[in-house]
Amino acid sequence: MVEPLHLRNLVWALTTIVECILFAQLARRKFLVKYPWFSLYVASTVVQSALIAALYRATGVSDAWVWKVAWSSQAIVVFLRFQTVAELTKKILRGYPGIWALAWRLLLIVGIVVLANSLLFSNGNWYWITLNVDRGLELSIAAIIVTLLLFARYYRLPIQPLHSTLMIGLCLYSVFFVLNYTLLEKYIRELAKFWGFLDVFTYLATLLIWVNAVSFYAESAPQAAPPAIPKELYGKLSSELNLRLHHLNQQLNQLLRTEDQRR
Amino acid sequence: MSLSFLFFGFLALLVIALLLLASRSSNRQFTPPTDVFEALSQSRHCSRLTQIVLALRPEDTEYLRESGQVALMQALRRQRRRIALNYLDQLQEEFEMLLEISRVLAVMSPEVVGLEEMERWKLSVAFAATCAFLRWKLRLRLQPFSGFTLLSNMATDIARQLDAATTHIAEATVRGSERPVLGQKNFDGL
Repeated sequence: MVEPLHLRNLVWALTTIVECILFAQLARRKFLVKYPWFSLYVASTVVQSALIAALYRATGVSDAWVWKVAWSSQAIVVFLRFQTVAELTKKILRGYPGIWALAWRLLLIVGIVVLANSLLFSNGNWYWITLNVDRGLELSIAAIIVTLLLFARYYRLPIQPLHSTLMIGLCLYSVFFVLNYTLLEKYIRELAKFWGFLDVFTYLATLLIWVNAVSFYAESAPQAAPPAIPKELYGKLSSELNLRLHHLNQQLNQLLRTEDQRR
Repeated sequence: MSLSFLFFGFLALLVIALLLLASRSSNRQFTPPTDVFEALSQSRHCSRLTQIVLALRPEDTEYLRESGQVALMQALRRQRRRIALNYLDQLQEEFEMLLEISRVLAVMSPEVVGLEEMERWKLSVAFAATCAFLRWKLRLRLQPFSGFTLLSNMATDIARQLDAATTHIAEATVRGSERPVLGQKNFDGL
């Protein structure tokens, strides 16, 4: 029977191979220039895997110095993940200046609030601080992506399949990282060995989603932006529309009260 | 069970649920502005419902009960319920059309007001909830209610205001065609 640790190492090696395939696909489809932050992110994961594997081999898993290097490299990878989300967000909203101006503020607030709450609700153990920050950042990324997708859905903005698949992959990995870590925190003894495997396995699934997207979806030409209207007109009509919607809602509430009084 | 476990477990599951909702293929795509303006100029059912709603007075049913025609009264009540439900559908349609116009405006505008957009999100949630509640009440009760005259007046008012909005938009479109199209903003400011 294969030992869990060996199995995890096998899956880890497999993820590195898939990362290389993804990077090669990005280069082949000429996406390296079009998606510089995503390409950098993929490249950084390959370098991180190689670096940590080499350090583990040379010094051993329990070395404190290796632990520091591993988490420092993780900080770079998470930063690049954030940049990838920002890059894709810009690509999705670039044709709509008004929506973009509103969206980036909203997404920033969502990200900060989720991160702050994550740190607040984390266990106050300094030993876990690095993992707590990482979990907070991952949850923040997931919340930002979901808010963006809901936002685009509300305004009926078209999203290219390539962009939405990349976003969904980023979000799924972040959410499963949070779930994995939360389970690890609670069932540390039972899950300690299994945890690493779960984490690598969910990452492998995400990589396969991205490879599929990068291989089969083309980046279609951006849709023509809708005709622009003067902002003064938006202000005037927007206030009027809100007034009417409010009026309509009030009438509905009044109707509800009339109904209640009749009972 | 620790607070931390509950918090992160709940949030992660919530994000997955919202992701499923957000990634569902929507059968409603962005409506081109011209289509919306065209929809505005079409006749609205709500404006024609005043007469129908006025005929839904409860006294009519009471008169039938007094004259002993219970079966007819019940048939009328069923019919009234259908009409009332249809009226709610129309009202919701009007509301959604207003929302659609506001979305198109926001997408076309070089600058949107966050507070007003937020207000609309809140209103749309409140309206959908109240509408669903009223519909549910109507389905459970046979007696139509007099409050519908309020809705009728409101719908007529909305129709009138929408006509005014159409005029504004038409004027703006004419003015807009004389101006250069607004350039794309610099997006590197995040």
